[in-house]
Amino acid sequence: MRPRGAATGAAASADVTTREQNPPMVLVKPRRGASPGSCPTPETSPSSAPARDEVLALLRNGSGRRPRFDPGLAGGLRAWLEDAAGELVAARGEDAPPLFLGPRLLWTGSAAAADPQTTAGADTSSIELVLSCLVRALFRQVVTVGHVGDPLSDAMAALQVDPARAGMAAQIERMSDATRDALSAALDVHAANLLHLTPRFAPRWLPRTHDRVAIPLAGGRVVLGGVFDLLVGAPVPGMATLCALGLTTGGRWAQARTALHYLALLETLRSGTPPFRVALLHSAIGRYGVEDVLEEHLRAVVSHVVAQLAGLAGDGPAPAAALLGGGDWDDRSRISA
Amino acid sequence: MIAVGSVPDPSPPRLLTQQLLGPLISPADDHGASVREAAARLPHALADLAVPRVGSGSFRLTDHHVRTALARSDAVAAATPFAWSARTARRALGLATVRALVAGEAASPLEGARIAIAQAVHSAGLGQGPFSAMDRWLAGLPPAGLAVVHADVVTWATRLWCAVDWSAFVEPPLIGRDRWWDSPHSSLLALRSRAEVRTFVSDPAGRHYSAHLVVLGGPRRSTIRAELSVVALVEALLAPPLVPPGRILGWWPESGHLVKVEVDASVLAAGEAAIARTLAAVEAPATPGQEVARAAA
Repeated sequence: MRPRGAATGAAASADVTTREQNPPMVLVKPRRGASPGSCPTPETSPSSAPARDEVLALLRNGSGRRPRFDPGLAGGLRAWLEDAAGELVAARGEDAPPLFLGPRLLWTGSAAAADPQTTAGADTSSIELVLSCLVRALFRQVVTVGHVGDPLSDAMAALQVDPARAGMAAQIERMSDATRDALSAALDVHAANLLHLTPRFAPRWLPRTHDRVAIPLAGGRVVLGGVFDLLVGAPVPGMATLCALGLTTGGRWAQARTALHYLALLETLRSGTPPFRVALLHSAIGRYGVEDVLEEHLRAVVSHVVAQLAGLAGDGPAPAAALLGGGDWDDRSRISA
Repeated sequence: MIAVGSVPDPSPPRLLTQQLLGPLISPADDHGASVREAAARLPHALADLAVPRVGSGSFRLTDHHVRTALARSDAVAAATPFAWSARTARRALGLATVRALVAGEAASPLEGARIAIAQAVHSAGLGQGPFSAMDRWLAGLPPAGLAVVHADVVTWATRLWCAVDWSAFVEPPLIGRDRWWDSPHSSLLALRSRAEVRTFVSDPAGRHYSAHLVVLGGPRRSTIRAELSVVALVEALLAPPLVPPGRILGWWPESGHLVKVEVDASVLAAGEAAIARTLAAVEAPATPGQEVARAAA
């Protein structure tokens, strides 16, 4: 995503969308809808309406011109990835267990870090990861029911219906009062920004949260996975019809944006078409951006993935180790087995 | 863009629908006859498989048991006690949601899921009529907990709702409704067939067969055909003589991959072998209560 008015680059002819379907990316600077400690509902905070309405307007802009694109695109991208995955499998051995790679683990540059068996099992989670999980739970609540009560209580209730998060819930309950208060205050800010930023999609637009994608390569020995925070729209063969909204809770904007492109790649491999447009919401500071998905985005992220797979195979240095290393993505990098 | 420009049309032709409803192409004149013959001898064979393990108690085998037994040892996650959660509740509620959508009783997955959850909570709250352990669990959740369940159900149901061209069915499909086959020769053996969508297809001669869509989870695996063969076997045992099973279609929503099994005698033999292996692997059968709970997962 480029700031408003920035050059769009040489994307014209090879893009998924045509130039007229691809208005300049709009990046909006932080707007504070609320101060820490308050959590306005849509009804009580008139100032929260414009940002989410603007996000929605940016997503809708030009949406009547749904782009078609080369049906061979997904196959070409997959073939590129399969070649790299095949080399990785050859290097690891045919009997090696499947390697599950998510947007964060993919970029850490080490096979050990990419293997969930060696990264799972920690007793405590970082405060960044805790906050990310809590904010994402609130985001799902906002999308689904449109309001939030007490942010910490609601987010804790969400963790408690997920056995995989039982340890995290227990960790929060063990926190000192001061730590819990600080977490609660931080969560209030995120919740206020979520309410400020998140469009209220009509039910018939099919908003769904936490949509997991898992793309097997090399016969399932390498799996690229990730989770869309929010998808809207119905997939239509041969046409880009989906919108994806990503959420970042504190990581670097550029990393979160690239991770969203990675998810767009996975959707291209899953359904044959990329999302038409993506939006990124930064719940810590109230920033947001909207852009069309371009073929150059997909090619760039495939190039990163291929290079990383080559690095894991030992063919070269693992590149871009910090490109997507934000802890913000921890919770979405686990692929169900 | 469908999402934000207009109301989406969820019913264009889709590959999954074509694969599910396309005509059967069988090398045999009537492969249903061979399926019926195989199904006729299977009850005895299956009872014999269970006999040596009588001392272990009853076997109520589900796809979970089969998948676990067929998986490589390093691919099996450690067993954890069943507990209701957003994840384990989403299939049952998601199926109710899709049923409501197909019947026109809900306008969107969001609404259908809300209705399904509200009905479950209402049933458990009244304490009257049929209500399940899941209903009771839902009734005890705070609003924020219900919101997470709601969100999970919406996502599960939307995937299925969008993947299938519901207008392509000549007869309304049966959505959900897992089926159990109880061995007539051994009270110790029961087998479950889990499928999300059930319908009928024809071969070029106009004979009818049942077709079943199975939503799959987890990674792609080499044993998936054997797993689906067990579904075919149970359907063959339960099928009326004139409508044997013809097709089992497995679908991974997370990757979009499909695997299709056209049912014949060799598929039933593979299913029988998978059950034999599963029975051999099952040391301590789960309680019926656990099975009912897993059925919703």
